[in-house]
Amino acid sequence: MAETSSSDAAVSYDLVPKLMPHLDRHLIFPLLEFVESRGVFSHEEMLQAKYDLLKNSDMADFVGSLYRDIHDTGDIPEEFAKKKEAVVQTLKDLEEQSSPVLQLLENPDVVGNLRSDKTQNMVYLKDNHGVTVESVNVLYDFGQQQFSCGNYGAAADLLYQFRILSTDSDKTSHATWGKLACEILMTHWDSAMEEVTKVKDLIEQKLYNNPLDQLQHRTWLVHWCLFPFFNHDASKDILLEMFFSPAYINTIQTSCPWILRYVAAAVITNRNRNRNTVQYQKQLKDLVRIVKQELYEYRDPITDFVAALYIDFDFEEAQRKLGEAEEVLGSDFFLVNSAEAFVDSARHLISESYCKIHQRIDIKDLAQRLNLSQDEGEKWIVNLIRDTRVDAKIDYKDGTVIMNHPPQSVYQQVIERTKGGFFRTQVITAAVSK
Amino acid sequence: MSRFFKGGLSDSDTSSSDEELYSEAEESEAEEGSSSESGSEDESEEAEESGDDEGGSRFLKGGRGGSDDESSEDEGKRVVKSAKDKRLEEIEASIKLIENGQKINDWVVISAEFDKLNKLVAKGPQDSLTPKIYIRIVADLEDFMNETLKDKVAAKKMNAANARALNAIKQRLKRNNRAYEREIEEYKKDKEAFMVEEKEVEISIPRPRTIRGPTENIAPEGEDDDEGFEAVGKGGKTLKFTPESIFKHLRGIIEARGKKNTDKGEQIRIMEKLYEVAQTPYQKIKVLLALISTRFDLTYGALSYMSSEQWKAAEKEFNTLLEVLEANPDYVVIENAEEWDDDEKQPVPVPGEILKIPGSVVSFVDRLDDELTRSLQHIDPHTTEYIDRLSDEGALYTTIIRNQLYLERFRTNQNISTDEAINRVIMRRLEHLYFKPEQVIVTVEENAWKSIPEGLDSVISPKKASPAASDLLYTLCTYLYKHDATVLRTRAMLCHIYHYALHNQFYKARDLMLMSHLQENIHVADVGTQILYNRTLVQVGLCAFRAGLIYEAQTCLQEICGTGRLKEMLAQGVQIQRYSQVSPEQERLERQRQLPFHQHINLELLECAYLTCSMLLEIPALAATGSSPDLKKRVISKTFRRMLEYHERQIFTGPAENTRDHVMQSAKALAAGEWKRSSELIHAIKIWDLLPEPQKIKDMLSEKIQEEGLRTYLFTYAPFYDTLSISRLVEMFDLSERKASALVSKMIAHEEIAAALDQVNNAIIFRKGVELSRLQTLALTLSDKASGLMEMNERVLEQKTQGQGGFPEGGQRGGGGRGGRGGRRGDHEGGGRGRGGGQGKGRGNKNVQFNQQSGFHGGAMRT
Repeated sequence: MAETSSSDAAVSYDLVPKLMPHLDRHLIFPLLEFVESRGVFSHEEMLQAKYDLLKNSDMADFVGSLYRDIHDTGDIPEEFAKKKEAVVQTLKDLEEQSSPVLQLLENPDVVGNLRSDKTQNMVYLKDNHGVTVESVNVLYDFGQQQFSCGNYGAAADLLYQFRILSTDSDKTSHATWGKLACEILMTHWDSAMEEVTKVKDLIEQKLYNNPLDQLQHRTWLVHWCLFPFFNHDASKDILLEMFFSPAYINTIQTSCPWILRYVAAAVITNRNRNRNTVQYQKQLKDLVRIVKQELYEYRDPITDFVAALYIDFDFEEAQRKLGEAEEVLGSDFFLVNSAEAFVDSARHLISESYCKIHQRIDIKDLAQRLNLSQDEGEKWIVNLIRDTRVDAKIDYKDGTVIMNHPPQSVYQQVIERTKGGFFRTQVITAAVSK
Repeated sequence: MSRFFKGGLSDSDTSSSDEELYSEAEESEAEEGSSSESGSEDESEEAEESGDDEGGSRFLKGGRGGSDDESSEDEGKRVVKSAKDKRLEEIEASIKLIENGQKINDWVVISAEFDKLNKLVAKGPQDSLTPKIYIRIVADLEDFMNETLKDKVAAKKMNAANARALNAIKQRLKRNNRAYEREIEEYKKDKEAFMVEEKEVEISIPRPRTIRGPTENIAPEGEDDDEGFEAVGKGGKTLKFTPESIFKHLRGIIEARGKKNTDKGEQIRIMEKLYEVAQTPYQKIKVLLALISTRFDLTYGALSYMSSEQWKAAEKEFNTLLEVLEANPDYVVIENAEEWDDDEKQPVPVPGEILKIPGSVVSFVDRLDDELTRSLQHIDPHTTEYIDRLSDEGALYTTIIRNQLYLERFRTNQNISTDEAINRVIMRRLEHLYFKPEQVIVTVEENAWKSIPEGLDSVISPKKASPAASDLLYTLCTYLYKHDATVLRTRAMLCHIYHYALHNQFYKARDLMLMSHLQENIHVADVGTQILYNRTLVQVGLCAFRAGLIYEAQTCLQEICGTGRLKEMLAQGVQIQRYSQVSPEQERLERQRQLPFHQHINLELLECAYLTCSMLLEIPALAATGSSPDLKKRVISKTFRRMLEYHERQIFTGPAENTRDHVMQSAKALAAGEWKRSSELIHAIKIWDLLPEPQKIKDMLSEKIQEEGLRTYLFTYAPFYDTLSISRLVEMFDLSERKASALVSKMIAHEEIAAALDQVNNAIIFRKGVELSRLQTLALTLSDKASGLMEMNERVLEQKTQGQGGFPEGGQRGGGGRGGRGGRRGDHEGGGRGRGGGQGKGRGNKNVQFNQQSGFHGGAMRT
């Protein structure tokens, strides 16, 4: 793809090419749409890209019209019509084949007789209703076909039904992935999160003996999770926790360090919503550690910002990187909505650690540092003092803030270190006597 | 029988055969209690021959020959017998017993004696003829056996043991007699003549002994009258080399292998001649195989090495062998092939089929390589001889590649599995490459391919693949990763890491090192691999040093340099230890392990880098701990501290002379805040010039010294300041203001110093009243220890219950957090440890730095 020089930083930090290999083609489509809307690439290039992406799918109509747009011909060539026919035909066939099973499942009597044991269910259905393994598998094929055609809702339902009946663990796991894709594409985030949990469990259980596959699947999952991650607030905490769990943080470090951008952005933007400061501090600490480890392998303005602020304590650099980061965030499909929140939180972080280190700060200077006017800066600081309950006073005459950092009392330290001791010892005693 | 009586008998015997010379032999025969006439004749013939062959015993014989009369008269006295005679006597005795057994039809005795007889004959000196008596008895025995077998009635009457013995002997005899077919044939044709011939020969023999020269002797081996090569063999015998007789000669040589008194030089000469007359590929291959292994046999013992000429000859012959094999794809040398027994006619491969010849091509390469290394170990590296010898490496490398090609072709064309062999060859290749810099590898490769015939190309590492050395290494290593699960894989990995480290790719090297989890089980590997591991680790450390990663470099080097057994660990010389109790055996083994000089890593450079790193880390740490009671707590480098203490104890310190002095004085200057002097001293070290781009290294070091100097200064003098302006610091340490304030901010944020910045005045304000009283410090230490104890308890329990104890770890401690120095690293890792097993191949332990690798060295090297 040709690059235009309009926004260099944004383009050079564009992650779309890196993300694409780990996503389903249907999931890539929204990404392409977004790239198109940014107008970095010409319309023709984008059309071609979309065409290339989808030409193997069964959305014949849409691909046909893409083809028409690219080649600027008036009508859609024959082959697309043919393909469409074929697709419709397959769909019909599959529908016919699957209808008996589907009807069965609509029958409340039958559903009532189903138990949690799948083998038992199969036997029951086979004996009483003549359902065979093949006819169940038709459901899967049908679902796949529907998905390929872009009927995500129907596909999701079919895959769900397939999963209830099927005893084939391989296909079930495929179906789970398919269902996850459907839910994401239909933006049903809650059910998508359910599927994420299922996929996660599948990876843990099924691929236990195959570390390489496990890594591969985890990488996929991490990428797919980005959709709910930044579009569904409720899932943010769960996913963040998942990303920070040892297995997934290793996956990110090993095979896809670019995900660190999203993790960093998520952690930083989490600041406002998350009142639980202890957990927040912990996440931040983890983030700094990982960013530091991966600096040699992956860096972009966002991770650089974290590094400048927490590793080098170079506030000017941090400030500069924040500017760049803003730009990069604006051009990222997942982060475009959180850009403002990010900048806001980042400013907080800068001033927080700035205040921690300094005793006397010139308000004018601080305001400048935060890209704010003096009045705004003052307001900002007042808010900061109020929010974080720092022990600080404003000296109006000099235009400075005076921080008071009382040294932590030795007694306090001793108390804190020995605080949990009794409880922990009790737990050990209990465990030993068990 | 009484000895006296016997003696008389034997006396008459000798006179009847007109052969007084051998009375002594007969005498001994008499002692054994057998006195068959023909036996004595045969035996004497045999003795004569041996006298002919062996210089030493000839004199002995000669002497005896002169005094034969006396000896025959003095019978009954103690007689000195040569080993040869003794053997003959034993043969005689066995034959006698066999004959007796035949008379009474006792096959058990016959069988036992027959075995003994065979052993005796085989044990004899390799160049002696098979005794005629042996032929006679074997032939007779066969006849007798056949008769017995024909007589069904008698066979049935035999008891079980007898029958079994008969059966056994039947089979053995058949096999045995095949070897002597011709002689037996001759004997059967005309028994009398066969024996008479002996007598004639016997008579004629004494003459050549006195008149040495062109006399035509018996030519027992040159029986074919074809046109052929003629040579005068040992003892004046004429040896004829013809294509037909090659196998006979070879067999003789192979059988003589490992026996005493074999002249290997002579054998090699014979085989060289044989190769010249060899016509068919089969002959050539056989001769070459034998020839090369004989060359290797020339040297034995741990301390000698193959001479350069022999090595070159072996190398050349090996190449010829490969050429022959390349030219004749029908022939294949393989380890588990059947030996072809028939000397008379040679096997001809059926078209389309492959003829397998027993042997191992790979082991030759291994041996060639080992011998070269061995000679390099022994030659003084500062002589031209060493350089000359080293130039052979190129040829060897070519041979290795060629061997690889051969084995590959083998596999693709003939579907013979050679995986193990290929792996070995590739490993050899790697071991010749890994320690070389890129340009050298490229040149070596180019030269090697130049001398390999066009048209040969490798599947695994194609000729035209890519000129970059790292690509080649990558290809070779990945091949081994995929195809070998044994120690070769470990070695390949280490070579790969070494290569990366040598080429300044620290992160790649480190990641590979950590991902391979080598450090966890290297202590169970063999010593050679451990040495390679040590070398690799040191190289990674140097790489980190060059990249300016002081902490990483120090931890890597600590492992090896901190032990004080540097030389031993890297196999670069035997360290003389004052109180060591190294047995000569151990010392010998150690000497064998030494690396040739051209593979050495400069030890002085290593030490210098290590000490400099230690200085940069230790001096600020020393300043930070100041006079607090837990002074001894964090020792980064024991070696460095010891040296520093020693240095400080000296009353007069002269100007720095060696590397160590430089570093120590520099350290002192750094501790006093004189970064300029410190940096000058470090710059004065000459050994930096050995590193590529020494100026860059020096600049990097200056910069680090400035930074650490500032930190040390703040640690040391903080108590004496109330405020300190940043600009003053900038001036003092010649740093940029931004850098200085970043450094100070970092120290404040990590709570290393109790201070805060004043932005308005651009100064550091030190807080007062933070110094703790002694009691308070002790209280803190106590609380630390208490929590440490609890953690230990939990860990023990966790281990015992296999992580099922389920402690809500992080949660309990979350609140505390901030107080202690350095914070709590362990918190977030602890939780995951239980599940750690399933974590994919991740770089899970990336943050666990190199210092986890302890446990190796010590015992491992002492084996």
